[in-house]
Amino acid sequence: METKYLKKWEEDLNRCIRCGYCFEGCPIFKNQGWEVDGARGKLVLAYGLLNKDLEPSDFINQKLFECTFCKDCVERCSANVSVPDIISAVRSDLYEAGFHNDTHDQLLEKIKVSGNIFNQKLSPPSFKGEKSVLLGCRLLERKDDSRKYLDLLEKLGLKPKTFDETCCGMPFAVLGDKEGFSNQQNKFRETLPNADEEFICVCTTCVFFIQKKYPDLKAKYIINEIVERLPKYKNKIEKLNVKVTYHDPCNVARGLDMVDEPRWLLNEIGADVIEMSTYGKEAECCGGGGGLLVTDKKLADQLAFNRVKQALETKADYLVTLCPTCELNLKNAAAEFDSRIQVLNVLDLLAEAIH
Amino acid sequence: MAKVDIKKLKNIVGKDNVRDDPGTRYVYGSDSSVHESFAWVVVRPETKEQVQKIVRYANSEKIPIIARGSGSGMSGQAVPINGGIVLDLKKMNKIIEINLEDGYCRVEAGVIDDDLNRALKPHGVFYPVAPASSRVATIGGEIANNASGVRSVKYGAVRDSVLGMEVVMANGDLVHLGSRTRVEAAGYQMDRLMVGSEGTLGIIVEAMLKFVPIPKYRCLGVANFNTLEEAGDTIAAVMSSGAQPSLLELMDNVAITAVNKTMDMGLPDVEAILMFEADGMVKEAVDFEIEKMKKICEDNNGFGIEYSYEADKRTKLFAGRKKLFPALSKYKDLYSCTSLADDMAVPYSKMTKMARKIHEIAKKNNVIMTAYGHCGSGCMHTKILMDATKGKQWYNAKNAVKEIYEYVAEMGGTTSAEHGIGLSKAPAFKLEKKDSLPFMKAIKHALDPNNILNPGKMMDAPDDWVTATKLRYNVN
Repeated sequence: METKYLKKWEEDLNRCIRCGYCFEGCPIFKNQGWEVDGARGKLVLAYGLLNKDLEPSDFINQKLFECTFCKDCVERCSANVSVPDIISAVRSDLYEAGFHNDTHDQLLEKIKVSGNIFNQKLSPPSFKGEKSVLLGCRLLERKDDSRKYLDLLEKLGLKPKTFDETCCGMPFAVLGDKEGFSNQQNKFRETLPNADEEFICVCTTCVFFIQKKYPDLKAKYIINEIVERLPKYKNKIEKLNVKVTYHDPCNVARGLDMVDEPRWLLNEIGADVIEMSTYGKEAECCGGGGGLLVTDKKLADQLAFNRVKQALETKADYLVTLCPTCELNLKNAAAEFDSRIQVLNVLDLLAEAIH
Repeated sequence: MAKVDIKKLKNIVGKDNVRDDPGTRYVYGSDSSVHESFAWVVVRPETKEQVQKIVRYANSEKIPIIARGSGSGMSGQAVPINGGIVLDLKKMNKIIEINLEDGYCRVEAGVIDDDLNRALKPHGVFYPVAPASSRVATIGGEIANNASGVRSVKYGAVRDSVLGMEVVMANGDLVHLGSRTRVEAAGYQMDRLMVGSEGTLGIIVEAMLKFVPIPKYRCLGVANFNTLEEAGDTIAAVMSSGAQPSLLELMDNVAITAVNKTMDMGLPDVEAILMFEADGMVKEAVDFEIEKMKKICEDNNGFGIEYSYEADKRTKLFAGRKKLFPALSKYKDLYSCTSLADDMAVPYSKMTKMARKIHEIAKKNNVIMTAYGHCGSGCMHTKILMDATKGKQWYNAKNAVKEIYEYVAEMGGTTSAEHGIGLSKAPAFKLEKKDSLPFMKAIKHALDPNNILNPGKMMDAPDDWVTATKLRYNVN
């Protein structure tokens, strides 16, 4: 197998000392238990493919796609080996070698046809203000919620402007389709009202991805915007007096390095945050990232199940999070527990508390 | 690859606990060392009885069997040099008993060190071995390696915490070694024989460990030195002064640079940093020790000395040392941090000379080496930083390793303080222990006549560690 993308990461692979520290928090390893499931194992597999010690196979392909890109390994690795980038690269090599999962192809085809992951004609609620706001696929599909969040921004003095969106291309990049990503990148840029202007991003995954892969664009996360504005609108807050537990999305805590801000917001609106056994930068992944939902839904569901179990131990009223994918995944898992804990987005609570 | 009866193994442990696909075999063929090989099959037992059955089978067919914890060993202990069955013991991870009255705990071999301490903490006690890899290292692996860590100066190595164990011998018998008591003079100390045997004499499946009270007070101090000699003299002076540190760590300038580069910690650009700690139940006693060590640092021109009892501050003071090992990987572009000449122990009075010699040998052989470690127990660590893709660098590394250990011997030291022998330290080990090698071989033969237990390691390892296995790097 040609390893033209992986080759660029050879230095990182050599830098890895295989200390195994990345096992500690790896959600796949903790759930499955084989070393090949953990971050170190995946790097060794990648190295084997690079050196031709290994031939690609369905099994190796599957293992390299069983990663949520949670970045827990990046946090624990002091050698700063960029595990997600290496896995992303080897996925691209595998993709070009013809290792396509049907479920991956189906998802990517939906985006190619419709511009979103649902293969539907989706338009955002009509807001004709001044500041462009990107909702992201998941929130486009949840029109009532996206309207609620846009109203929230208006209450905080922002004048949102929505536009016909297309997917930021993250699924292509994560699932290894480089050519598909390149095409989608162009389409995404064309939909932006003004590529030189700052725009607000509501979706967690999109903002992390855009900040990383489109460094020239000025994507600002909605939470940063709300944190800046809220002090001037404290008189609009009617405290909720609820107990919540907050799930740190991987892309927020470890990706955007944002741990305190969501907690501050929750405290400001009278939501008492009770932490789970893992939280902040050590928060366990819900299983929703890295394409795992289309690679191995059962495994993704298991990780979400584990996380909801942790949430139930806090005896909080609500399990709240910021990422729409985490929210969906945790909601589905909570249903397995007779929905004894209600799963909401932090933005839902903010919208309820701020009048 | 010899034929292994995969179906038989699946019947023993269940089909979900056996894998013989190339990817799994390859991943389990390496550890944190420079070596790699291919396992023939990987098996994950869940009970002692399953381990017995697997070993019995392996022995009957003369198939190598290599016990494995987390594969965090640095000398190739867990690398299946001759292929064979890799026995992944991580599923055997129960903490069976915590007996506060009698002061011991019983754990399965796959329990992670940090998990054990999390379980012990509510009882006010801890298992003090504390290797840097405690977050992933298993108790079985630690025992097999006679591991130790930052607190070895006060609490010793694993052998000082092991009271007894259960071991599956090469013929599949399960034996109980040692006791549950703090003292025992009943015959040969067979449990001690297993400690540090690196899986070559038996497979440890359960351990009885003692624990100690969690000290009420801990105070960590840091001192900077403009020369390695001053730091080295401080170490010797502390250890001969009657002070009782619970931690005494050295970092040289190469280590300091690496930490600053990866963690942006802003450590001072000095030749050496010493970290010293005292712990205990009485604050005044801890104060006394800290003041004593602080004065010794000052007497040897230590400066910028600070110390703290506060947990957050101590964590911050120690952060760089905690992550040093992997941080060395970022020292120089294209350079890899290889576990070669990675540990040794020398007498306190020779530490400075050893550190200097390491740098001298590195320069002579055109590699980069660092000196750091748990100097309070005489343990010095180093790594060889080099372009691991260049054959010439491996030639240089081989020379450097040889010269390092020749000097260790000259200084009256030992080949390994705590990382074990495996493959990469075998040549130096054989020279050091030449008097006792025949005894070791006789014991090995007596306990493992078919040589199935981690064969080809320690006294039986190849004399050339570079070619002992395929190296895990793509060497030109």
